[in-house]
Amino acid sequence: MNRVLVYLLLSGAAIVLQTAFLPHFLPYGFKPDLLLILVIYLGLHERTWRGATLVYALGWAYDVFAGSFPGLHGFVLLGIFLAVRATVSRVNAESSLLLMGLVLLGSLMQAVLTIFALEFFVEGSDFWPMIFWPLPLQVVLNVLAAFILLRAALWGQLRFMPRRRVPGLHKLDSRHGT
Amino acid sequence: MWEWWRKNRVVLLGLLLLLAALLWYSVSLRQQKETSFFETLLLEATGPVQSAFTSLVRSTADIWGSYINLVDTEQQNRRLREQNSLLKSELNQLKEISLENQRLRRLLEFKKTQPVKTLPARVIAEDATSWFRTVVIDKGYADQVHEGQPVVAAEGVVGRVIRNGPHESRVLLITDAASAVAALVQDSRSRGICRGQGRALSFDFVLRKEPLELGEAVITSGMGGVFPKGLLIGHVSSVNRMEFGLFQAVEIMPAVDFSRLEEVLVLLREVEP
Repeated sequence: MNRVLVYLLLSGAAIVLQTAFLPHFLPYGFKPDLLLILVIYLGLHERTWRGATLVYALGWAYDVFAGSFPGLHGFVLLGIFLAVRATVSRVNAESSLLLMGLVLLGSLMQAVLTIFALEFFVEGSDFWPMIFWPLPLQVVLNVLAAFILLRAALWGQLRFMPRRRVPGLHKLDSRHGT
Repeated sequence: MWEWWRKNRVVLLGLLLLLAALLWYSVSLRQQKETSFFETLLLEATGPVQSAFTSLVRSTADIWGSYINLVDTEQQNRRLREQNSLLKSELNQLKEISLENQRLRRLLEFKKTQPVKTLPARVIAEDATSWFRTVVIDKGYADQVHEGQPVVAAEGVVGRVIRNGPHESRVLLITDAASAVAALVQDSRSRGICRGQGRALSFDFVLRKEPLELGEAVITSGMGGVFPKGLLIGHVSSVNRMEFGLFQAVEIMPAVDFSRLEEVLVLLREVEP
């Protein structure tokens, strides 16, 4: 339960950063998708059904702050979460590079699922150019944000709670296991 | 069969879940035109935090700007530097107030030209993603702001309200791909539909034979039922007449600079007495 509360607080912080903080520093409306990174982290370290429920709820909450289509991010983020769950049982999860790789693939998958959900279900609009052309920069931003967050989380853990264990973080630190 | 089910249970249930999510999204697209309680709750809960963050960032940027301006001043005289810093900070604040004053004056002049009642609002947050174009303003249904109301700035059309809480509303900008505004060219009166393309707009369904010049003003036609007639949308920035086909490809540069949008006016339905 505590963990769920932490995830909710983290997602709230991610949304506030994306809507009210980062736009002041990044041009042309670009911003890293911090919620996507959280969803990939959940995919790596949460159980399937609990994680899926949480991710779907987060997706619905995300729709309140992004775009104009309720349910869109619920579907997209759930798809990404399930894909990460399917992947993580087949690869060596004990690497910080894995998170970067999954963020890269997750960003691409997010674009594909969003284009699919918009082009096939919303009539009369042409969304794909708005998603497709900025995609390379979006992927770079997401991977960079994941890298910075990982470093910051590891530093924070060592500095402020060296005896406590953040779920999965020790696995993602490249000093452990790679 | 049972063995096969046990082996693939997780994958099948996952796919079923994803399909259910897609179906629910599809149903929501057609049914949910009004703000739900869940959305109202989230908008209301995050509005003050977003507003506080925006104010904090703007004031920090001012202080940081003042600091940067001070880097090159002489280091020997600490007292003078502090005084200089203080003065610069005050000057910066005054400049900011003066700029805000100018913006609000323009908005006030524009407000006077509108026959309907208007409500000034501040932009407190942007869209959470890079792909959509929406902003959050600090007025909601407690201030008579409702879904579908047009939002403008002194420079021209901004967008329309799509979701609202008691004290916050979300505005779909005209540059979003989901936005379409019935428009006409001010001089030639050629009609078309302005659709969002991120930074610019496309002006669709303009007949190929219609004469269009670069820089011509494009205004709302009043046909869509959302925006009143005559509001400036932008200016023609490129025209491409193909060899064949009924229509020409026209691009419009919006009159409003959305990257610097701070104050807007919501056009309320009531007519000014």
